[in-house]
Amino acid sequence: MRSASQLKFGEKVLIKNIDSSHPSSRRILEIGFTPGQEIELMNVSTFNDPLAFSIRGTLIALRRNEADCIEVE
Amino acid sequence: MIQHKSSEIPLITLVGPPNSGKTTLFNNLSGSNYKTVNYPGATVEYSLGKLLPKFGLKANLLDSPGIVSLVPNSPDEEVSIKSLFSHPELGTPDIFVITIDASQLSRHLLLVNQIKKCNINFIIALTMSDILNRKNYDVDQVKLGELLDCEVIKVNGRTGNGIPELVIRLNKYLGSNGIKKCNNTKIPKFPAEELIDVFKKNELIESQVIFELNGSKLEPNIERANRQLKILVNQKSKIECYKIDEKTIRIDKLLLHKSWGLLFFLFVMTLTFTSIFWLAEPLIVLVDNIFGFLANQSLKLFGYGWFGDLIANGVISGTGSILVFVPQIIILFLILGTLEDTGYLARGAMLIDKPLSKIGLNGKSFVPMLSGFACAIPALLATRTIPNRRERLLTIFIIPLMSCSARLPVYALLLAFLLPPKNSWLGGFLLAGIYIFSIASSIVIASIVNKLKNRLINTIDNSSFILELPAYRSPKFRVVINNTYISTLTYLKKAGPIILILSLFLWLITTFPNINTKIEAKGLNQEEILRITKTERLSKSYAADLGKILEPVMTPLGMDWRVGISLIASFAAREVFVSSMALIFKVTSDENTLQSSIVTAMRDAKLEGTEDYLFTTSTIIGLIIYFVFAMQCLSTVAVARKESGGWRIPILQILVFSTIAYFLTFIAVNGLRAIGLN
Ligand SMILES: Nc1nc2c(ncn2[C@@H]2O[C@H](COP(=O)(O)OP(=O)(O)OP(=O)(O)O)[C@@H](O)[C@H]2O)c(=O)[nH]1
Ligand SMILES: [Mg+2]
Repeated sequence: MRSASQLKFGEKVLIKNIDSSHPSSRRILEIGFTPGQEIELMNVSTFNDPLAFSIRGTLIALRRNEADCIEVE
Repeated sequence: MIQHKSSEIPLITLVGPPNSGKTTLFNNLSGSNYKTVNYPGATVEYSLGKLLPKFGLKANLLDSPGIVSLVPNSPDEEVSIKSLFSHPELGTPDIFVITIDASQLSRHLLLVNQIKKCNINFIIALTMSDILNRKNYDVDQVKLGELLDCEVIKVNGRTGNGIPELVIRLNKYLGSNGIKKCNNTKIPKFPAEELIDVFKKNELIESQVIFELNGSKLEPNIERANRQLKILVNQKSKIECYKIDEKTIRIDKLLLHKSWGLLFFLFVMTLTFTSIFWLAEPLIVLVDNIFGFLANQSLKLFGYGWFGDLIANGVISGTGSILVFVPQIIILFLILGTLEDTGYLARGAMLIDKPLSKIGLNGKSFVPMLSGFACAIPALLATRTIPNRRERLLTIFIIPLMSCSARLPVYALLLAFLLPPKNSWLGGFLLAGIYIFSIASSIVIASIVNKLKNRLINTIDNSSFILELPAYRSPKFRVVINNTYISTLTYLKKAGPIILILSLFLWLITTFPNINTKIEAKGLNQEEILRITKTERLSKSYAADLGKILEPVMTPLGMDWRVGISLIASFAAREVFVSSMALIFKVTSDENTLQSSIVTAMRDAKLEGTEDYLFTTSTIIGLIIYFVFAMQCLSTVAVARKESGGWRIPILQILVFSTIAYFLTFIAVNGLRAIGLN
């Protein structure tokens, strides 16, 4: 099972599931990361963390450990 | 101020996700000038206004901080959401106007779904449809209204498009008294499992109301037919307009580059701080000349007696010492405002999140800390966007260390003493050096406090960084200039009266009771008489009595009570240090400018009772260090108490920062002297 934090640049994948045991999982869902949506890794900041994803036409930055709870196909 | 709890005038509250255009709409409807910024989380406090008379509807209008959902993510957000439905002073609103970004429908409709379940009246103001239009798309507001079963009106708070229609609808609800206030509004539970379905529903709505514009204007019915077709075609496929704009992607490839993104960020910050000094220099000289001239003229006009002294040194120098630095403050606000409006700040927060999290802060601490360079008070309020309580408290703790604009006059004076005249480029570097030093110190202090962990700040919860990066935009200079004007005015209104009153008070205690000093004037010229009179008067003044108490504290620093008095005065507001120095040391002003006349007086001043100079390289560096650390501003203490919810943080700040300031000054002065640098 891959998570969003393991994506390569330019790779477009669909979200499969959000791990609900993560404390930020609710906010991640609320901000638009829902299963079935396509995401793409757009930018990575200098220390490899946080990561910026494109979702629903917006750029959203997340910490690596938060991106970990987004399971992708 | 607020006298309408009894609801004679209806209350309209603007609600919406962050960066959806609430404040822009609020300003347009109420004629206010609140700050609008391309950063999610610009508004942190409720602000109240009234609908402009031209709209013909009497109503109060409330702007609110942006929220993603009605389920709070932090204690601060919880308070904010509760006040939406029942404001502590204004009660329950008669109607919500929910601002929804048309270019982000499927995300923003979540809030509409939730508010629908709360038994409160609302209408939807659809913003940013001009952005969709630019991508050759549009949104069908009628259809959207049908699907959501509520009123939807396209508005643009920046151009005023759609505002009259919005007011007509509001009037229909409120004006006819037909509205029934919802008394039993309450926020139901929203289980996380439902979220996925809500989003699915919203995606479906989105795909039904967004349609592609064809270059040429079509007849409405053809357009409609066309749209129907498009929807059929597009039903399952992705809608092209929901792509991040190419320009933003290209700029981010550079500015968020993995290796030099951070370097570029540091470069931008350094440039910001150095240019404050460089750009402002000519303007400062100008204002300084004007006040120096005024002070001179009034001395000539009113004579060199106590009255002339009051006007020249009490009133004019007092006012001058505030106004001289207005150019620097304006330039600081202009640069910060431009950065804010481009959308770069959110990137800055992302780039610096990792380093900041190492010392117990958060990427979201960045914007509050940066605004701390203008003033600590709005910066403390801005920490409300940090969801984690511990990180928020730590940010509040170190914000007073950010070199706020009130320190600029002090540094400018002290640097003018150190530097040869007319050397402004070096001044710019030294000022940037002080800024970097203060940032470095706050990092060290934050990491120490973070290590002490729960002893000082005892809360732990989930640390998180989720931030929307808004699309880049070329800054709207009208907006930037307007924001700058407002911020500068606020600064002057806040600082002006305190500084003027304190300057007058200082003048009184340094002049009385020995106002008519008699001295042996034989064989002395005018200037020497003035100097000796002033010294004599000061040494027998109330300030001197007070100062004697300070003497034992000041002597180890190589300074005397006269500096001590100025330091005490600067506890009310830092800028007062400058006017206090002018009052105490300045005698006449042969020089053209206020600043250089103070500097000249400082160069002449002797340590009391000795022949040693009071101000030397070492004492001046000591003073700079003192101002870097000391917790001096009373309003900051008050706001820190309110924002941290208790006295613990402000008391710690006063104790810790003042102790550090004193000891480091002591070490600096004596250390420099030990190595031979006087
Ligand atoms: N193109 C366009 N830009 C808009 C419109 N409305 C607002 N903006 C811009 O969008 C940005 C955000 O607007 P604000 O009014 O500060 O948004 P807000 O909802 O108050 O944001 P927060 O206070 O952070 O929750 C600003 O830079 C505005 O100039 C609009 O209709 N069209
Ligand atoms: Mg706002």
